[in-house]
Amino acid sequence: MNRGIRYLLTLLAALFAAPVFAQHTHDDGHDHAAHASGPQRTVAWPKEVVELAESLPVQDGGRVKPFYTYAGFTLLRLNGKRSVKTPTGERLTPTEWMLDVLFYPDLANTYEVFSVDDIAAVREFGGPTDGKEKRDRWSYEELFPHVEQLFERARAYSQIDEKQLDTVQRQILTLAHNVDEYIRISRKTAFAQTHLPVGAGDGLTKIFGGREEIRFSELLDKVDALRVLQGELESDPSRAGERDSLNRLLSAAVQVTEGSEALAMFPPTHDAQSAPEWLSPSDVLLQSFAGGGHAHEHVAMMADLERAMDARGDMGELHKSLAGFAGRTKELARARGEYEKIGLELVYYKSKLLDYSHYGFVLGFLLAAFMWLKPRSKWLYRLTTLSAWGAVAAITALIVIRCVIRERPPVSTLYETLLFVTAVGALTALVMETINRRKLALSVAVVLGTLGIFLANKFEELDKRDTMPELVAVLDTNFWLATHVTSITLGYGAGMLAAFLANAYLISRLFGLRKNDPTHLKSLSRMTYGALAFALIFSVVGTILGGIWANDSWGRFWGWDPKENGALLICLSQIAILHLRMGGYLRDFGIAMATAFQGTVIAFSWFGVNLLGVGLHSYGFTSGIAMALWSYYIGQWGLMAICGVHHMIENARHEALTQAERTPDVAPNPRAADGRAS
Amino acid sequence: MRFIDAFVKGLSSIWLSVVLLVLLALLTWLGTLEQVHTGLFEVQKKYFDSLFLIHHVGPVPVPLPGATLVMGVLFVNLILGGILRMRKGVSTIGILITHFGIAFLLVAGFVKAYFAEEGHLTLYEGERSNVFTSYHHWEVAVLEKLPDGQVREVVAPEQLFADAEQGARVVLNSPDVPFQVEVTRFLSNSRVLPKGPMFTPPLPVVDGFFLEALEKEKENESNAAGAYVALLDPRTGKRTEGVLWGLSKQPWTVEVDGRTWGIELRRAQYLMPFVLRMDDFKKEDHARMTMAKSYSSDVTVFEGSTSRPVKIEMNEPLRSQGLVLYQSSWGPQNGRPGDRLFSTLAVVRNPADYYPAFACFVIALGLLVHFGMKLWRHIRAETREAV
Repeated sequence: MNRGIRYLLTLLAALFAAPVFAQHTHDDGHDHAAHASGPQRTVAWPKEVVELAESLPVQDGGRVKPFYTYAGFTLLRLNGKRSVKTPTGERLTPTEWMLDVLFYPDLANTYEVFSVDDIAAVREFGGPTDGKEKRDRWSYEELFPHVEQLFERARAYSQIDEKQLDTVQRQILTLAHNVDEYIRISRKTAFAQTHLPVGAGDGLTKIFGGREEIRFSELLDKVDALRVLQGELESDPSRAGERDSLNRLLSAAVQVTEGSEALAMFPPTHDAQSAPEWLSPSDVLLQSFAGGGHAHEHVAMMADLERAMDARGDMGELHKSLAGFAGRTKELARARGEYEKIGLELVYYKSKLLDYSHYGFVLGFLLAAFMWLKPRSKWLYRLTTLSAWGAVAAITALIVIRCVIRERPPVSTLYETLLFVTAVGALTALVMETINRRKLALSVAVVLGTLGIFLANKFEELDKRDTMPELVAVLDTNFWLATHVTSITLGYGAGMLAAFLANAYLISRLFGLRKNDPTHLKSLSRMTYGALAFALIFSVVGTILGGIWANDSWGRFWGWDPKENGALLICLSQIAILHLRMGGYLRDFGIAMATAFQGTVIAFSWFGVNLLGVGLHSYGFTSGIAMALWSYYIGQWGLMAICGVHHMIENARHEALTQAERTPDVAPNPRAADGRAS
Repeated sequence: MRFIDAFVKGLSSIWLSVVLLVLLALLTWLGTLEQVHTGLFEVQKKYFDSLFLIHHVGPVPVPLPGATLVMGVLFVNLILGGILRMRKGVSTIGILITHFGIAFLLVAGFVKAYFAEEGHLTLYEGERSNVFTSYHHWEVAVLEKLPDGQVREVVAPEQLFADAEQGARVVLNSPDVPFQVEVTRFLSNSRVLPKGPMFTPPLPVVDGFFLEALEKEKENESNAAGAYVALLDPRTGKRTEGVLWGLSKQPWTVEVDGRTWGIELRRAQYLMPFVLRMDDFKKEDHARMTMAKSYSSDVTVFEGSTSRPVKIEMNEPLRSQGLVLYQSSWGPQNGRPGDRLFSTLAVVRNPADYYPAFACFVIALGLLVHFGMKLWRHIRAETREAV
């Protein structure tokens, strides 16, 4: 390896090693200054171009996924939602937005996509605040003159312990990460927009046929010849001028790929086993100069992108070039066995199964309300049942598709627990309904389903990360995910269903609903018991399986870790309730109260313990979950308190009545046992 | 007799079970919240490995039974009330099976707590060993170099001399050693300092050095024990004083009986019935991320005259002859690509290793039988009602 290349490699290595925020200094002229007005898109993105882009495979977060998924979560992170409204009033999907960032960066820079919750954060680094609300969005163009100050603050705050940061500081950090990510994405196609100056020299003239400017792909294509030339120039001091030209050319090539490593779109030409990492333009350059050679597929892909870039303004031509790029990418990915699931993942998102499931539950919820108003109507009952079963079928299909895509059991992340618990809870309730047909379990199913999917959507919005991520080493085991995690989550689902049924009991008692039907409360109580028993089996077995797993991975069955303790608390509360029932210490009312409380124990174990320590990343995420949790705790305990007081008043009144009926000389029984009223 | 009857009845009552379950839940909950402020080791000692404790609610001290006591009583309650005195019949068979499984699980916990040996085996690639080292316990070893070049060891475990920490003088004897070792003082965390001219240290000075007692570290593994010892030669009556320190690299050497002996204080070492060679440690990351995808150690196990290659990785421990070896840690963390790495395997000898899996199966069976029968009866009743 000669000196020039070594210099180049050092430069590249330095770029790779540089920390976030450190790379983008804005004094260099070639950086895409936000105020420059480049080509503008005048027509909407044609459907065929968007569909082509959506299906492009990219490697991100350790796995190969559709461009559609990547664009969706990236926009969600920046903008807080999966759409952008442009200054001209056009509404863009994530893919269309990212196509603009890649092909029309100057246009995309005017879109207000950086969402900030508190304007104080923008004020702190001197960003523009005129005409902005407290919670608003900014465009890259607006932030551009202040990016240096933003990164400087973020660098300082990233040195501080996360727990010590206040909300404004956290928002500055988040915004800096988002701006950094945005810049890296827009750098992705910088190489395709640039012409590199060849410079003077006989060797260079010969290699590039006398042209003054070349494209990046052409330089890459001639790497071997350039290496030979560099060797010759090294040993010939009389050609110092040409050596400088060559070094200038190579530096320019490095500069146009700088920062492009965010997203890997170039599959290696080797098999996935020996070369698991996909490449960015800078990786391709680095590899070919490091002597690893380059694949002409990659050169052709670069040329495709350059042609697509040149064809801006002619969507037909752009589509043709992009199709060439997509064809080559897919062919390489397919050869590596990394393309099979892309189509299915697109189906997963574009079929909108989750939305349809949600609609089904909401519709079932409305129908159930009418059903209770018109209890005799058979067709209302049938429609509600149909709607609920449809919704459960949709969410089940969705979970199955996720399993197929990731080749994993149904639950491996917190988000998936929400989907699974919803499906299990609703399905169990529907099975109960087919057993006793009293409309109660059906009603609980639609309420649980509506709420569960609402929470899942909220969670995704807060987390803003791919919901099908790679897992850390200890979790990456399908056997234990399938047994322990599935079992515990089944326990959560059935336990939450029991809590819902218990609440239905409490509310029925409180408002005297269906007082004329003596079987109403009794069957609610029976179903609560059934769900609780079902939950107990899976909670206990799941908890012990967790211990066996821990024994296999850490050498101890039990370590009093918060998550273990949470699982134990669920088991203990369920066992205690069943024993209190068995011993006759609690009757229907008391069991309903205790089971409702048990729901908050599950919530504590499910989400609460995760909030105790560190590990959950951004402030918005944890605070959002904490808020939801505390609302549930307080709402549930409040309801229990009201029901308890109401119960005592009822008992006292009942006793007074019976006492009045009795002859005064008979002593009343002073101990009104719990739950005797029913 | 009536008192005993009432006592047994109370001890086996379902009311007591509920009280104990609620107490255990309370302790679990308090012990979870406490972990926000205090390390796991301390929390475990206070709430879970204890018989009694004082919990502070703000400034108010609340005395509570510790989880060990609660679980002990729960075990008795379970055996008496949940198995022995329970009505036996078709309808209770599921519950009986479940209770048996739970009791067995508690037994597994007690067996593990009292009989397990735990430690680690840290080897650089290429190294081999048949000894693993405790994280927590110390021992005093007397080493004798035999004429054939081998070293014979006589070892005294920590429980034999732990009383020396409270000032008791402990004398260690062995028929294999022609002298006695008297431990006059034991310090669970200490450092060695040279005696300077300007001060008088609180502890004795031997050969210009003395031990300074230190506060115990939060992480028990970081403590460095130290001991003052004296050798007594019963034939000559000669007494030789010395200082042992847990982290010193060389044993203290003495001449007795014309032979050379080494004496050292070290982490307790346990012999394995096989030799293990660390061949290769691998850490793989997910593509283009710093998140670990897998850790694994390729080792060779030599048993007698045979050897076999084994891969130890996350969730895939090596189980052999009562020992379980897990992938636990690795280093050096700042190593560059190509550097020689070491891998740390956690080693556990736990006679109850398989008990939980068995208990889990029994409990699952019991619960399924019990609630399955109930569900069956319920469905039949509902269908009759519907008819």
